[in-house]
This record gives sequence, C-alpha cells and structure tokens, in this order.
Amino acid sequence: MSDQTAIPLEDTRKAQRISPTVVTVATIYGIVALMIVASRLVSPSFGGLSQLETILYLSSFLVFCAFGQGLVILVRGLDLSIASVITVGGVLSAALMDGSNAGLFYVIPAILLACALIGVVNGIGVTVFNVPPFIMTMAVGIIVYSLCLGFTGGTPRGFPAPVLNDFMGSRFIGIPAPVWLLIAFAAMGTLVQSFSPFGRKLTAVGNNPEAAYVAGLPSRRLTVSVYAISAACAGFTGILLASYANGATLRMGDDYLLPSIAAVVVGGSSILGGKGTFLGTVGGAMLLTTLATILSALGIGQGWKTIMEGAVILLALILLRDTVFDSLRAVLVRKD
Amino acid sequence: MKVTNKLKTLALAALAGTTMLSAGAADAKTADGKWLIYLSLSYSGNAWQSEAANIVKALAKTPPYNETVELVEVISGTDPQAQISDYESMIANGADGIVSFPISSNALNRVVRRGCQEDVLFFMYDGTVTEQCAYNISFLSGGFGENTAQALVNELGGKGKIFLSRGVPGNSVDERHTDGAMHIFNQYPGIEIVSEYYSYWDDRTTQQETAKALAAHPDVDGVWAQAGEYGVIQALLQADENRLVPVTGENSAGFRLALANPDMQAKGLAGVSSGSAPAQSGFAFKIMMEILNGEREPLPEGERNIEYPLPWVPADAVKMCEGDTFEDGCNVFGEDKVPSSFVSEVFNPELLPELSLTSALDGNPTEGATIQPLPEGAVKRAPDMPGINCRSCEAPDNQYDLTKIEATVQP
Repeated sequence: MSDQTAIPLEDTRKAQRISPTVVTVATIYGIVALMIVASRLVSPSFGGLSQLETILYLSSFLVFCAFGQGLVILVRGLDLSIASVITVGGVLSAALMDGSNAGLFYVIPAILLACALIGVVNGIGVTVFNVPPFIMTMAVGIIVYSLCLGFTGGTPRGFPAPVLNDFMGSRFIGIPAPVWLLIAFAAMGTLVQSFSPFGRKLTAVGNNPEAAYVAGLPSRRLTVSVYAISAACAGFTGILLASYANGATLRMGDDYLLPSIAAVVVGGSSILGGKGTFLGTVGGAMLLTTLATILSALGIGQGWKTIMEGAVILLALILLRDTVFDSLRAVLVRKD
Repeated sequence: MKVTNKLKTLALAALAGTTMLSAGAADAKTADGKWLIYLSLSYSGNAWQSEAANIVKALAKTPPYNETVELVEVISGTDPQAQISDYESMIANGADGIVSFPISSNALNRVVRRGCQEDVLFFMYDGTVTEQCAYNISFLSGGFGENTAQALVNELGGKGKIFLSRGVPGNSVDERHTDGAMHIFNQYPGIEIVSEYYSYWDDRTTQQETAKALAAHPDVDGVWAQAGEYGVIQALLQADENRLVPVTGENSAGFRLALANPDMQAKGLAGVSSGSAPAQSGFAFKIMMEILNGEREPLPEGERNIEYPLPWVPADAVKMCEGDTFEDGCNVFGEDKVPSSFVSEVFNPELLPELSLTSALDGNPTEGATIQPLPEGAVKRAPDMPGINCRSCEAPDNQYDLTKIEATVQP
C-alpha cells in the first residue's frame, strides 16, 4: 500500500497481468530444478534424468495422498487420519487380493469405497457435530488404526495382486509406469481443483463458508465429499504402497501424514483454506522428495538431516509468501 | 517365605488402593490356583513383536501349562514411562512372573528391582535391562553385526562401496549391531561406506531409504542391513531389474526366499540371513516356567544373562518347509503360507518343539503338543555388554570375535 502511495504514477497493470498463482507454481518448480542441478555437487550420479525419475517415482505416493489433503485444507479442514487410512488400503489389498489377480476389478473399487466411508465419517463429524477437524480426524485415525491392529493381530497377511506389483516395476516408453500415473493424476487433479465447478465451489466454501451457504452452496455436503475424497486418495496410496513393497505393514502410512500437509502448504496453498492449486502441491511434494534424496546422499547424521529438512520447509514457506511474490513481480515488471 | 512375601504384596496392593485383590491370593498363585504371568510388550504393530507375543500365548495354552498358567498380555507402547507404570500394577496385582520385551535397557531398572524384592521373576527377551536381578534372554551377544559384516566383506572380496541400513536411532540394539559391524569394516580400507541411513526395522521404510541412497550411488556393491532387509532387495530390483548385489540382513521370509532363488542369485544376490529371532520370547517363557515349577534352579544374580543362539542361514542353507514347523532342517515358509515380512526364526526344534505356524500367526497351541523340558545345557551364560546387560562391568576383549564365519579375505 505504502508503495502505491509513494509512487502513485507507476503503471502496475502490467504486473497484475501475471497471475500470482502462475508465479508461485513456477517458482516451486524452478527451485526443484535448481536443487536437482545443484545436487550434482553432492554426487556425480545426480543432476540427471535418472535422479529426476527416482524423485518422481518416490514423490508419486506423496502426491496421491496430498491431493485429498489439499482439498480438505482448501475447505479449511485438516485430515490427520490419512496415515491410518493408507494402512487400511495396504492391509486390505494384501488381505483381499491375497496374491491373486482374480477379481481385481471389484476388489480395488471395494477398498476405495471402504476408505471413502471412513472419510464420510470424518466429514459428518466435522460438519454435523461441529467437531474440530483435527480432533475428529485424529480420533477416527486412531480408531481405524486400532481396527487394523485387531484385524491383523499385528501381522498383515497376504500379498497384493502380482499384476499390481508388476505394474509398479514396469515401464512404458522408457518411463516407470507410476510416473505416468503421477502425470495423469496431476492433470486430473488440477482439472478438478482449479477448473471444475466442484473445485470452484470448494474454493468458495473455503474462502467464506457463511457466504457460500448464503449463496446457496451445499457447504456440508461439499465438505463431507472432500473428506471422502481425501480418504479414498489415502486408500489409493495404500494400495500402491503395498504393491510397491509387495506386502503391507501397520506403520506404512506414518511417513506420509506430515509431509502431505507440508507438500500442500509448501505448494502455495493457504493452511487457512480457500486458496491453492494442485500443481503447486505436486511441486511441493517433489521439492520435499528432492530434498530427502539430497540429504540422504550427503551422508550426514540423522539429527542434522531432520534439522535441515525442517529448515528448508520453513525457508520455502517464508520465501513463497504472497508479499515476496508481489515485490518480485514489481521488480520484474519494472525491468521491462 | 513366598507366602509372607505375597502377603506383603497384598498389603501393598491394599495400601495402593488397587481393586485387583483377587489376583493376589496366597500360595503364590491366582485364585484358581494358576501362576499369574504377565506378557509385557512394547509395541504391537509389526510382524516381529506379534510373532514373539503369539509364541508365548501359544505355549501358555499348551498342556500342561493351559491348566497351570494364567497369561495376561499388556501392551505399553513405545514409552518407557508407560511400561514402568504397567510393571508397577503387575507387581501390585501379585504377578508371579513377567516375561517382557523391555523398551529401555536402563529406565526400567528401579521398578524391576522393586519387583524382584516382591519375588516376581523378570524375564526379558531380545532387548535387555542392566538390572542384574532380571533374566535377559537375548541374541545380542551373539554378534550379529560383526558376523554379517564379515560375510559381506567376504562376498565383496574385501573392497567395494556399501550402504548401511540401520535400525532406530539411539537404540542400544542398533548401536551394538553397528559397533560390531564397524569393527570389521574399519579393518578393510577397501570398503567404502557411501551411505548410512535409518530404516526403523521396517520393510517399506528400508525400501524407500535404499531407493534414495541408490539415486546417488547406483554403483553400490553391497548392502549391510538390519531388519527390513527385504526392502533392500525390492529397491535394488526397482532401480535395475537385472542387477542385484550381495546383501546381509535379518530373518524375513521374503529375504530368505530371495537368497535361495536361482534367478536372484544369477542377478548377483548373495548373503546371509541372521539376526533377531522372535523365538527368544518362547525360550524366556520356558526357562521362567521351569524355575517357577521348581524344575530348574534359579541362577544367582549377576549370572542371569543368557544367550540365545544367533540364527545363521547363508543362501545355500535356506530350505523350504513343507509342513507347518521347522522339520528336517528347513528354515523358511513359502509365499502361500506367510507374508514376506514374516520373521522366519519363530521356531527352534531343540528349544521349542511345541510350536507350529498357527502358534506364530495366531497364538494357538499345536494340536497334540505338550510342553517338553528344555534340553541339557540349553541355558548358556552371555558375556557382559556394558550398558546393555550390565552396568558397572567391562566387555570382554574378545567381544567382537567372529563366531559364525571366518575372514576369507585379509585386510
């Protein structure tokens, strides 16, 4: 504001033509690219396509569950149950498929549906009973995890379908199949979140739930559906993780809960809801994974690794704030 | 003497205001005349922990123990404080014995000491406590780290780039394993550790951490791993489906089957399966029951560290089990029976002939089995390991001596 009054005559229309969203997303991917190139200093095997392939492959799991998390955050919620729901997806696929390809076409939808139902419970708790999202989803997560523990007796049985296991290891046109899946998922997710009526309604609810309600949007139903989608995405992640590891473990979802939130926020979404793109989230997930591979290659102690991970996430959040972009844009335009 | 002690326990329980008086009846047994035994676990959520617990449950249901033992399972999570308070209530409830996976090697000492004074028998398995009145039954002194490290060095001819896939940071078990391994690796200047990461003894974490390390070092020559080793194989195949390298690890079914698989061997896999056996819990439970039943003399304090023999299965010794037990020297079950994360060392034909697959998976007794006495000489004293199974003690000079394998390449 003070800028504008100080230089009242400057033409800022050009600057406004560059959408802030585009700048945010481009910056994240720029940082990722920079990190990959710079990582050549760490290891001579880095900086190439094979590293990019590993990063895309490893971040795909995070991207799948972060999509749901992103939608939940968009409507001012938070889903802490995804770690447990990932476990449900994994445990159910190992148990129900039991090492055979038979009936895959109904087993997968059944698992996704079961997970979505968990999400519906979350959504109903949040909307109908007004339980704060983090309490509701945490409680449901604990219950669901304990069900898994009871159901498996601690040892998840069985194997995912061999065809899924093969899929995770296969390549099309020289690129791993899960990376294609990631690309398709990113395209579809972007379409849903940013360009569909459904996504726009969610943004409206996230921006101002009361206003959205007054405007005639079914806020409750939208919110419940978002939690259902989040749980289904987590279940999907669980199925793929089990296929990747050729079996399920009860801790398999733990490593995805906080990173899924971090990916969304680093990706430029507002933790307060109402703002964010899925492409940004994908970039956030890639950034986190790139960082992890570089830190792993640095060969430093576990404590320092975690400190640096936290520091980079903080730094990214501080640098990716709107005000920074605004001044960046202003500088860019002035240079023309 | 026991009676007076039990009375003391009763009085204490009453003082503490507990309502569980019924459990502390006189004659050192529960009201229905059974021994009251607690099974205290850290964390039920991985295959290893649940198999170890199931083994004890199955033994407690096997005649004649089904008539004489009342087993109560308590899960304390991962926090030593929780296990301390659980031990306290078990002591107050008049426990005769506590067979337990200890969460910490020193945090539990005070409560264990107190329990010993109340005549409660403490039997720790796998992990250990440094309080000398407790019995520690553990494979740790068997030297997993140094023996597997030497096996890897032998496979690599004394030189190459390797990864270390470790356990849980700060855990004394992980440190003992790694210290032993480093004792060997440090002797070989040709061995270069290019990446070291914590995999939390979990298959999937191991797989992802190994994948990350492989991104930087696709030319790795071998991997030294603790539990979770099957994830190493998966990650290697993921990076290049035609190239495997020697891997040493623990006892998962997936790893053993891979070691014995000619296709995998053709791709370069070699190694040895060793490490922690869930069967330790059953061994601990049987020693405890023999002491309770008066069939075995209690050991004097300071001599209660007992070594569980280190499992050692190189690739050429892997043998598939046709039935549901370890018979005729077989040591792994096929994919049709157990998941890949199943820890194969659940049985021990000499020490635990009572068990079968259903015991390990579901905690059920084997049909027709009865408890067999432990063979002569089964209980062997373990060497001192300062900070692990004793406090003010010194490790023997030969603590890292190889016991399972000889060096075929000289440094």
